[in-house]
Amino acid sequence: MTAPRRFPASVYRDGDEPDPRFSLANERTFLAWLRTALAMYAGAFALEALALPEAVGWRAAASIVFLVLGTLAAVQAWLGWKATEKSLRAGTPLPGLAVGGILVIGVVVAAALVTIGLYA
Amino acid sequence: MSRDSSDGTAGSDASGGPAGPSPVEPDAVFDKGLQPERTLLAWRRTCLAFGVASLVGMRFTVEAMGILAVVVGVIGAGLAVLAYALAATGYRRAHHSLRGQGILARGGLPMLAGTAAVLVIGALCAGYLAIGLLGA
Repeated sequence: MTAPRRFPASVYRDGDEPDPRFSLANERTFLAWLRTALAMYAGAFALEALALPEAVGWRAAASIVFLVLGTLAAVQAWLGWKATEKSLRAGTPLPGLAVGGILVIGVVVAAALVTIGLYA
Repeated sequence: MSRDSSDGTAGSDASGGPAGPSPVEPDAVFDKGLQPERTLLAWRRTCLAFGVASLVGMRFTVEAMGILAVVVGVIGAGLAVLAYALAATGYRRAHHSLRGQGILARGGLPMLAGTAAVLVIGALCAGYLAIGLLGA
């Protein structure tokens, strides 16, 4: 029953093998977070590449917000995958999604910065 | 090579459906909800996003950074193609182990690699921003 040792020992050390479908769903959620991170980085890149608010200050502020959000999404992808897999194995309630709220606020703030930069 | 010969009759438990030519379809899907297949598609669109991001980034930086942008963009696109191929083999492996023992023998190494890749893209993006904003 003991398969060859699987990578994050902190995840696979304890608990029972969960329903494989749940692990696969967790994996897809992880991938969705990765794409979210990529989209945030793409936003930061696009603002600079297209010089979208021509005012440098507003552009820098909006780009940095997107950059931070992308990093946050990437970290959430990995840590969230680990935490969910752990709690699937332990049979405990799944972790919440606090990062989701931060991401929503951040995108709104970044959009506001771009808008102000365009018209200010 | 009858991959697509299971027309919805094969469930997650291979206890032998009443209808069908053979009691155990040799290569039927594991799950009626097509979870492994959907996960494969999710890996594919993630690889596609990475490849496109690398090439678009290259396109927008090639005038300013020249050969460096081309090298980084081609490496990124190549890694995306590699990950696409690895996702296919990973799917085959998962399919066989799910059909065989009913467990998903898969660790977190692909996830760590994906996270590292996106963080590298973030670092490159930060460098591009720094150059652009300080030069402005």
